[in-house]
Amino acid sequence: MGANGVRSAGRNQRQVSCDNQSRRPPGNNKTLHALTSAAMVLPGLMLQPAQATEVDADSFSFQYYRFQEGKRNLFNVPNKLDPIQADVIHATGRLSLTDRVKFTFNYTRDTWSGATPVTSAPLATNGNRPILENTPSGTIVSGASPTVNTQILLDRNLNPIARDPLTGEVLGKDTRTVEILSFASPEVRNAADFGLGYEWNEAALNISGGLSSEPDYQSVFGNIGGRLDFNQKLTSLKFGLGYTSSDISAILDHDLVPYLTRTAFEGQIESRGGSDIFHEDRQDFTGSLGLTQILNKQSLVDVNIGYTHSTGYLGNPYKAMTVIFVDPASLAGSQDTLITGDVRALMEQRPGNRNQIAVSSKYVHYVNPLSAALHLNHIFSYDDWGIHANTFTMDWVQPLGYGWTITPRIRYYSQGAADFYDPFLFSQQNFSSNAVDASGREIWVDSNDPDTEFVRDENFNLIDSSGNVVDESMLNVQPKTVPFDAEELPDHFSSDYRISGFGSLSGGVTLRKRLVKGIELQAGFEYYSRQSSLKLGGGGGTSFADFDFYVANAAIKIDIEKLNFAGGLGGGSSSSLHAEHDEKTHQQHQHEGVPAGVMNGHMLHKAGDFMFGYRYMHGRMDGDILHGDNVASDEQIVAQGCSDDTNCRFAPTYMNMNMHMLNIMYAPTSWLNLMLMPKFVDMNMNIRELEGRPPPQTGVHEHTGIAGHSTGGVGDTVMSSLVNLFNVPGHRMHLSLGFSAPTGDVDLEFRRVFQIDGGLVHFGMQLGSGTWDFLPSLTYTGDYRRWSWGAQLSGVKRMEDQNKSGYRLGNIFQATSWGGYRLTNWLSASVRGIYTDQGDIKGDFNDFNGRAGPMDFPANHGGEFWDIGFGVNASVPRGKFVGNRLSFEWLQPIRDDVNGFRLERKGALAATWSYHF
Amino acid sequence: MNTPRIILVSLLFLGIGLSGCTTVVPWERGILAKSEMALDPNPLQSYMRSHNFGAREASASANAHGGGGGCGCF
Repeated sequence: MGANGVRSAGRNQRQVSCDNQSRRPPGNNKTLHALTSAAMVLPGLMLQPAQATEVDADSFSFQYYRFQEGKRNLFNVPNKLDPIQADVIHATGRLSLTDRVKFTFNYTRDTWSGATPVTSAPLATNGNRPILENTPSGTIVSGASPTVNTQILLDRNLNPIARDPLTGEVLGKDTRTVEILSFASPEVRNAADFGLGYEWNEAALNISGGLSSEPDYQSVFGNIGGRLDFNQKLTSLKFGLGYTSSDISAILDHDLVPYLTRTAFEGQIESRGGSDIFHEDRQDFTGSLGLTQILNKQSLVDVNIGYTHSTGYLGNPYKAMTVIFVDPASLAGSQDTLITGDVRALMEQRPGNRNQIAVSSKYVHYVNPLSAALHLNHIFSYDDWGIHANTFTMDWVQPLGYGWTITPRIRYYSQGAADFYDPFLFSQQNFSSNAVDASGREIWVDSNDPDTEFVRDENFNLIDSSGNVVDESMLNVQPKTVPFDAEELPDHFSSDYRISGFGSLSGGVTLRKRLVKGIELQAGFEYYSRQSSLKLGGGGGTSFADFDFYVANAAIKIDIEKLNFAGGLGGGSSSSLHAEHDEKTHQQHQHEGVPAGVMNGHMLHKAGDFMFGYRYMHGRMDGDILHGDNVASDEQIVAQGCSDDTNCRFAPTYMNMNMHMLNIMYAPTSWLNLMLMPKFVDMNMNIRELEGRPPPQTGVHEHTGIAGHSTGGVGDTVMSSLVNLFNVPGHRMHLSLGFSAPTGDVDLEFRRVFQIDGGLVHFGMQLGSGTWDFLPSLTYTGDYRRWSWGAQLSGVKRMEDQNKSGYRLGNIFQATSWGGYRLTNWLSASVRGIYTDQGDIKGDFNDFNGRAGPMDFPANHGGEFWDIGFGVNASVPRGKFVGNRLSFEWLQPIRDDVNGFRLERKGALAATWSYHF
Repeated sequence: MNTPRIILVSLLFLGIGLSGCTTVVPWERGILAKSEMALDPNPLQSYMRSHNFGAREASASANAHGGGGGCGCF
């Protein structure tokens, strides 16, 4: 109990075992994990993300994972669209503010893009229309693009008759169904939540709230949960309540809009700037109750019941139902001739409310001979949409010794279809027909005044309701059309494959390794296969929607508490403990002065030390387009901003860039540090038409509507070594030699719009440099009493002539110097000046690019930039959290002298958190 | 129908499990305190899996913040 002796009663009471392996008392474990299991079961929502990602002790974790779907089967056309791919970063932390109060936070950023089904339809509609491309060896089919408005041949029993997609030749009956795919442009979602929890001796209460934001969907949510222990903590009762309110502002796919029937939602669609925006909202209430019971020394059971009540818009505005309209008149008669159906796409209609119940049972058993734990879980879910589902999971947690643990797992899932699910529908009526009056005469209306009706007499003259002949040449008359009767269709319908009947099997493994100093590395892989045939009881009937995906993840977890006792538990005397703290405080002072925006600013000087850091940078450009150091007019940009044979048509209005960087530094010796810095980036921007631009041409990619575009994912990864040149009291200098590995994509493309290829996204929106780069830097820092100062020279030298997209970014030279003043023993402020010189882009895109504006041309990149930075640094001087440092810096641009034409910079914010241990 | 049968099986399973209840004194709780025995031994992975499954399945234990689309559901 030595090192723990100073802690207060609350925690100590639960220190039940002297067993070295039991780091956490069972009571504490149970709170967090019991609440986790409650969250697992909440139907429709996992509304307690704070508890779900709870970590045992005070800790910080950072996880990255890649979700990659396999291609869907399009049967008779090649599927060249990239399937859905997502890159997700997730940071989570837990901090004990006092012995009984804990604070938790979670942050997630998802970026995803790829082909997704819009609707399903009979294969005979040829909804995935082949894209033809001329090649030297002849015309080939290079892919498929979605078409949802066509005609289909049917026999008298409404069986689809297939036609060759290229030649139109009639092939015969084909009852297969296929998904119609459309490519979704990249999107980024950010979500964060915070929670506070209080722990009594036999109970706990947690409150948390957060929000999730993406361009078309905003959610705010709050939860409250608690736990009561009985029976010497052998039994725990838990409860949870939550509420989520979401707002949807979806810009309807402009490729689909002309073909989409949306009469049911006209009231919710706003037309603005060339885009159609769908507005709706939704509310979800959840409640759960659970029980955890220890059975014996080595097993326990956990049961939870969750209830969710959802109201509002519960559908997906990007998904449509294919309805085949058949004229009943054509079905009359006894001939065998084929008839034609009118294939239309209607926005899906789901019920406005949903009630779900889920029951989860979990059994955990320790298998003594193997020192492993077996986890078995079953969840049964039931809702009033008719979806019944069962999940069976089995995990085997196997410690392997030396800090390794491996957990293989297997999961089987089966769900029944929603009552209103259908791959497509038939409706025996015309989609629209000409209106006739009581005598069967066609009704005509004037387009300018549709309320006045006319008919034609036997001489084909236009007559009004009183029988007078009207002069047709003065009006703009057309036959009046009557749309289909929506009452004849079901009230609710959807062809979303996610609410169809199917089963799935997935298996995976997670590997964990505990290193010294409380650091843990985790990696995992899982493969999932959705199969209609795997549905419990058979009868899935949706094998056309089968797909698979894999997920690969990696994470690092830092156990803050463990680290701080690393020295103490070694049995050192109290004076050596003080020495450690003094050393840390001294190093804090040294590192305090370095502003947040400076990379490689300080070194670790003690062999065996680690530093883990997280840096977030946000940069924004908006305002005028500059040419050199002057503001450029639209005329100038159009004429000179692009190339000799192409005039500019668009210019950027704003661009935001977000970077999340993980900084892992280790000192193998006192004069050498090794650093690894993975980066995750996301960018978004919008463009506007230039005044005086050349008019649009057919076949040329245009930007319409109000939506901007975004990209995001893994950026380049930097590996460097820092070498100490001199380190004397008051002055330090070190050299850093690093390499940037091109792990960020440079071949991101826009999706096809209106059957025109989008081409490569602008240079500035690609995720990395695409080349191996050399990153040298020389840094000097000094301090005297409360003052600190420093200077750094750094550069980026591209080591290849071109990346895989045919270009390379300009080399960079940067010089910066700063001064800082320590205001209190934990807070200091800094002021900094920065000069940057970046070369323009060399080479050019080697594949199609839209060439819409200056951002698509190499000469308009780079320049000379002057900035001033204002920063604050806070560090924890002593106590449990010594070694933590938080800094912020705002970089204010003073002058830009750009190459060619470039958007002016508004500023950048850098925030870093680092932990030295 | 399978539904009542499945409920019955779960309850049976539960019944068998609970019937094995004994009192475990504090100094015998060493095994129960092991991290492998936690109800969620891999919380980071659980968070990730529920996000992934919730984006492709319509049952309970689905993704937070919505369930139809536009929820980071890809």
